[in-house]
Amino acid sequence: MQKMFGRFSLLPVLLLAALLLAACPPAATPAEPAAEAPAEAEAPAAEAPAAEAPAAEAPDSDAVFTYWGGLIFSDTANQMLVDRITQWGEEKGIKTDVVMINQNETTQRVSAAIEAGTLPDALDMGTGLILQLIETDQLEILDDLYAEIGEAHGGWMPSVAALTAVPAFKGHQYGIPFGIGGNVLFRRADVLEAAGYMEAPQTWEELGEMAKAQNPPETYGIGFALSNVGDANLTTTMLQSWGGRIADDEGKTCTIDSQETRDFLSWITTAFADGLFPPGATTWDGAGDNVAYQSGNALFIANPGSVYLYMRDNDPDLGDSTKYSALPGGPVMRIAPMSSPNLRVIPSTSKHKELAMDLFKYLADDEFMAEYYYNAIYGPVAESYKNAPIFTEGPVHVGLLDLVENGTPPAYPDVDNVAFAEYGSNFLTPRMVQRVVVDGISIDDAIAETQTACQAIYDKYQ
Amino acid sequence: MLGRLTARQKVVYYLLLILLAIFILFPVYYMLIVSLKLPKDIYRSPSLLPINATLQNYVVLFTKQNFLQNIRNSLVVSISATLISVFISCLAAYSLVRLRYRYRDWIGRLILFTYLTPGALLFIPLAVIIARLQLGNKLEGLIFVYLTFSAPLSTWLMMGYFRSIPADLEEQAMVDGSTRLGALFRIVLPLATPGLIAVSVFTFTGAWNELLYALIFITSPSKQTVPVAVSYLITGDVFRWGLIMAGSVSAALPVMVLYYLGQRFVVQGLATGAVKG
Amino acid sequence: MEQVAPSPSPIQAKRRRFSMYQRDSMLGYFLVAPVVICLSILVIYPFFFAIWISFTDRMIGQGGNFIGLGNYRYLFNWIDFQATVRNTIVLVVSLQSMKLVLGLSIAMLLNQEIRGRQLWRSLILIPWAMPAFVAFITWKLLFYPQGGAFNFILLQTGLAETHVGFLSSKALAMPSVITASFWRGFPFWVISFLAALQNVPQELYEASAIDGAGPWQRFRHVTVPSIRHVVLVVVLLSTIWTTNSFEAVWLMTQGGPSNATMTFPVLAYFGLQNLRIAEAASVSVSMLPIFGFLAFIVAKLLQED
Repeated sequence: MQKMFGRFSLLPVLLLAALLLAACPPAATPAEPAAEAPAEAEAPAAEAPAAEAPAAEAPDSDAVFTYWGGLIFSDTANQMLVDRITQWGEEKGIKTDVVMINQNETTQRVSAAIEAGTLPDALDMGTGLILQLIETDQLEILDDLYAEIGEAHGGWMPSVAALTAVPAFKGHQYGIPFGIGGNVLFRRADVLEAAGYMEAPQTWEELGEMAKAQNPPETYGIGFALSNVGDANLTTTMLQSWGGRIADDEGKTCTIDSQETRDFLSWITTAFADGLFPPGATTWDGAGDNVAYQSGNALFIANPGSVYLYMRDNDPDLGDSTKYSALPGGPVMRIAPMSSPNLRVIPSTSKHKELAMDLFKYLADDEFMAEYYYNAIYGPVAESYKNAPIFTEGPVHVGLLDLVENGTPPAYPDVDNVAFAEYGSNFLTPRMVQRVVVDGISIDDAIAETQTACQAIYDKYQ
Repeated sequence: MLGRLTARQKVVYYLLLILLAIFILFPVYYMLIVSLKLPKDIYRSPSLLPINATLQNYVVLFTKQNFLQNIRNSLVVSISATLISVFISCLAAYSLVRLRYRYRDWIGRLILFTYLTPGALLFIPLAVIIARLQLGNKLEGLIFVYLTFSAPLSTWLMMGYFRSIPADLEEQAMVDGSTRLGALFRIVLPLATPGLIAVSVFTFTGAWNELLYALIFITSPSKQTVPVAVSYLITGDVFRWGLIMAGSVSAALPVMVLYYLGQRFVVQGLATGAVKG
Repeated sequence: MEQVAPSPSPIQAKRRRFSMYQRDSMLGYFLVAPVVICLSILVIYPFFFAIWISFTDRMIGQGGNFIGLGNYRYLFNWIDFQATVRNTIVLVVSLQSMKLVLGLSIAMLLNQEIRGRQLWRSLILIPWAMPAFVAFITWKLLFYPQGGAFNFILLQTGLAETHVGFLSSKALAMPSVITASFWRGFPFWVISFLAALQNVPQELYEASAIDGAGPWQRFRHVTVPSIRHVVLVVVLLSTIWTTNSFEAVWLMTQGGPSNATMTFPVLAYFGLQNLRIAEAASVSVSMLPIFGFLAFIVAKLLQED
């Protein structure tokens, strides 16, 4: 009991410290916290029934225009977007609030905002999410604006135009494209050339042969993710280049169970068994392939360009040993899928639709985009953007331009629909590979299982 | 438990303790040294020692990343959440322990159950509620939401604590003319001080550490809390380990200090509150 | 606050006692109200809302229709879900038994007459004081093939020929997740046990020593019965935390490789990725019966006296 005294004397000190800390941030904290506490806690409770009534829009006199941008790996590019929108706001005399959203959380963030009715006035997203959102009429149709901006910049690149003409859009445009990415094959020229491989691989099988120049555990040949992450959906591309298909031309019935899938699967599982993949590949997160290459542990990776940026800023030696090329082909065809373009969209709940359209035009400016492309590793979406010097000078940018001009649409040759998107976000192809190489089940069983799981997804959208 | 230890026992015990210390401290140590490395060194020349140690990551974190603002936000949220939740929980706990009324046991059970509800289940409905209350993207909203976990926990811990204080003391005070609330504030709460501190430490750290809700309910960068800011250092497929670890060290430091200061109370508070009902 | 105070008036004893009860109950409701109101808004309403939507085909931004058990039928036939059930059981059971055995041993070790007891106790608290996301992201780095400490040590010392996929091989992923979760979770156990051990009356040990009981018998017949209640509460509380915990798996493996570490909260989160909140809700709801049972026991134990 006498110990109690020692404890006692500490209490006022701690409380005082807490109060001081609480008092130092000026605005948000109540001056007399303990006294106001119950009032503050009960107030929202009292408001609740009132707020049940017609969704109370706060009638701001000085309205704020909110924009959610997708956070990308280039800090400079992120800052450019924020600055540009702020500048636009100043010119228009309107307050702007630009929020950069971590792309890993876009879906969760947008989900919560839709349910809560708090979507911003405009935001960036990919076509996958657009497809999901137009199912429930969340986005404005932007046909005229799309045509107008396209015309002002020499027309949209044909591939981009094709990509935004998804059948599910039913002839409408829901977003203004601003960037398009895709994977470029990075290879360690220093190691490969020492082993006599001077040229870039033309086929996956060739790549597999060249990968044997590895020297584990120092280096591994094929630095592709086989885990439950978006990067690992490269295996779907490979499967397709073997002639396999996820679903039929209708986009309704899964057709994974085929000889082509079997051939692909036996190739990749053999490569895995030969130890050509780094040990972590089956559980990498989105950064796994980057890190493997950055550590000098991988001879090949497929990457949209973040690794290039990293090397430019942090590790020029590694950058000098690297060469870039398009993704190889398979026995049946060569598929170099462009990732789905990034678009600016206007939610149907936006309070400033006219302003948002004006902003989109402002952001499409050639000069701004040229500098933006330099920092963000994207391919050009319109003809006039091609003239930016970086598309002739930067090795990765050259690759991206090539991709935009000659690449294949996402999902191609499959139909790009919601079911395909969900197939992808469930990572069914990499999981099929994992079932064989991790769980050790037979190739036939893995295919049968994936076929069932795939059909279950497609059935949801019949 | 009994008597002195023999020399041999001592050697074994200390050896075990040292092993335990290594197990506990090694991750902390590694986090610290990685926070002192440049990206290239982390990947290309891994080591267990801080080679080419630099404070570069911390400089970037505090100058370029607005991290001070994040710390301030976290302080505002955690301190307010603590004060509010401890205050209302004390009232509730006292009521549930000392006052007799219908449905009291049911209310007690209900509060307990709320603590057990999975957070992942709640966040979409919560987003709707927060928006209806006009609390979206506001620190106040976050403070309110944090009551989901802090109020039930604080209430139980305080219930346990109040039970351990003999009722005679307040009854005596009430016979002497004090009101019930007067007795609560003048007699019971001072006796429950260690419990109050323990509960405050729990609530504060719970709020300081929370990631999922903060991620969803706060959009403006100027209002992000520390865990969100650290998670934003992972952009797309890029893990900036050096920066992430620097942010982690900075995020962990305040709660570490708090635990160090409040450790005795935490241990005792747990013993009396959660554990001995 | 003074207005609730009784105004002493000279009434009959009987009536006074009655009004005293009434006053008490009024005050009781008044004091418990803030917490109850807050929790009704923040937990109870969302809770029933989630249960309701798990019986619909609701998607984000769309009302949804009642489809009865449709989502559950889909779930139970889904391989991922079956793996999730299995993994959650493996994770919880092995983690909890590790924490129980090692936690109790460590607590007994720290309960000895050792130098710097206070220091050791502060040390124990470190993992628990660390924010969960910091702890797990640090462990992820430790396990990482590139730049990770464990692989570095194994390769340098020649204990391993090649990188070990702590988080990527099916055999190691779960043990690795368990190790990291153990690191972060065991302090709570040690501290609770320690507190309980200190409350065991010394006389009991002395008495049993006089009766000629050995260390094992003392543990069996004195320690165990005295701390039984504490152990039960800790086990149940921590089981609920562990089953609910999202960060460990999400930050380290995201449920992989090939479902080897998929748990309920992560699976539910994946459901949200597809905007299918109804499915996500049904994943969470399907674990509620177990929770209800655990919660019931906790409630019983805590309200025993």
